[in-house]
Amino acid sequence: MGTKGINNRRKFFKASAAIIGGSIAMSIMKPFELMAQKKDESENIETDKLPLWGMGVDIERCVGCGKCAEACKIENDVPKEPFYFRTWVEQYTVKKDGEVKIESPNGGIGGLKQSVPDDDIFKSFMVPKLCNHCTNAPCVQACPVGATYISPEGVVLVDDSYCIGCSYCIQACPYGARFMNPFTKVADKCTFCYHRISDGLQPACVEVCPTDARIFGDLHDKKSDLVKFLQKNPTEVLKPHLNTKSRVFYNGLSSEVR
Amino acid sequence: MSKIIFRLLLSFIVFVTVFIVIRQMVIPDSFGKQGHYRANSLEDNKARVPFYKGAEECASCHQDIYDLTFSDLHSEISCESCHPPKIDANTDCKIMPPKVEGTIEFCAQCHKMNAGRIDKGVPQLLIEEHKGDQNCIECHNPHAPWELKE
Repeated sequence: MGTKGINNRRKFFKASAAIIGGSIAMSIMKPFELMAQKKDESENIETDKLPLWGMGVDIERCVGCGKCAEACKIENDVPKEPFYFRTWVEQYTVKKDGEVKIESPNGGIGGLKQSVPDDDIFKSFMVPKLCNHCTNAPCVQACPVGATYISPEGVVLVDDSYCIGCSYCIQACPYGARFMNPFTKVADKCTFCYHRISDGLQPACVEVCPTDARIFGDLHDKKSDLVKFLQKNPTEVLKPHLNTKSRVFYNGLSSEVR
Repeated sequence: MSKIIFRLLLSFIVFVTVFIVIRQMVIPDSFGKQGHYRANSLEDNKARVPFYKGAEECASCHQDIYDLTFSDLHSEISCESCHPPKIDANTDCKIMPPKVEGTIEFCAQCHKMNAGRIDKGVPQLLIEEHKGDQNCIECHNPHAPWELKE
C-alpha cells in the first residue's frame, strides 16, 4: 500500500466523520421548518402572564367525609374500585402508646370511621391527599417518552394518547398519587381538573368540600384565596426533604404524616 | 475512489436518510413546541366535559331551596356535595335527577362521632344515643337541618 492508499483512507475518514457529525447534528435538531416554529412559539409563551395553579389543604378543617374523593371519581371517570384514586382522604390516629395508625377505607368515600377506641387515642386528624404537582416532578423525569409533563400553568398532566403504560412514573412518584388505569391502560393522576380550571371553574373536590378545607387558586395572583391562605397560615409541603417543590400546601401538617 | 468505499458511503447516506425520514414520521406534530411533550395534549386534557355545574346552576330552577340552604349553617356546602350529578354538565339534569336517599348513614358521613372531627365546627353525634335508628330527616329538614319539623 503506497501513498495513494493512505490518501484514500484519509479521504474516507474525513468523509465519514463529516457524515456522522452531520447526522448526529440533524437527529438532535428538529427538521428545519419546525426549528423556525419552535423559536416563534417559545417566545409567545410568557409563563409569567399565565396562572400558576396550586392548592391549599387545611387539615384543621377537614372532617374526612370523603366527598372530594367521590366527586373526583364522578368528574374524572376514575374506576369505582377502591384502589384507584386521584384524590383520597387518610385518617391518622396517634395512639397513647405512640403507635400511628393510618386508615383510608375506600379512600374515605362514605365518611371515615374511627376504628380505635376513644380511650386509646392521643390525637386524630384527617389528611386529604392528591398529586402534589411538583415543580421538580420525579414522574416527569422518569417518563421515557415525554407523555407526562408540566403544563405552562404548572399542572402535571398525562398525555393519554402518547403514554406507553410502562408504569415508571407510578414508581417514581413519592406521594403514591399515580395509578395505572385498568381500562385505558395508561398512567392516571389528578389534573387539578384541568378541563374545569381552564374554563374558570374550581376543581370538583374544591367545589364539593363542605368545610372549605381545600383552597384552590393562582399563586401569581396576590389577591387569590390561595395566596391569602398561605399568608395567614403556617403551611408546609409533603416530604420537603425530597426537594420536589410541590404546589400543594398543608396547614396543620403533623410530623406523623408520610 | 475505490468501489468498496463508494458502496460504504452510499449505504451510510441511505441509512442516515432513512433514519431522519422515519424519525420525522414517528414524532407527533406538536411534540417539542413548548417542551418535551406533545403541545396538543393540553387541548386533549381541556376537552373533557365537566359534570359538576356549581350551585348557581341549580339555583336557576331551585331558587327557593338555594335561598333556604345558603341562609345558615350549611351555606358552605354546595348543592352537589350531597346531590352528586349523574350526568354531564352539558346535558339537562332532569334526564337523570341527582336524587339522594336521606338515610342516617348519609348524614353520618360528616356528623357521626369521630375523634378526628371534634372542634371543627361540625357537630359530632353519638347517633345511637341521639335518636337511635330514627331517620334524621324525620325531624330535620334536609335543606335546613337547623329547622326541626313539627
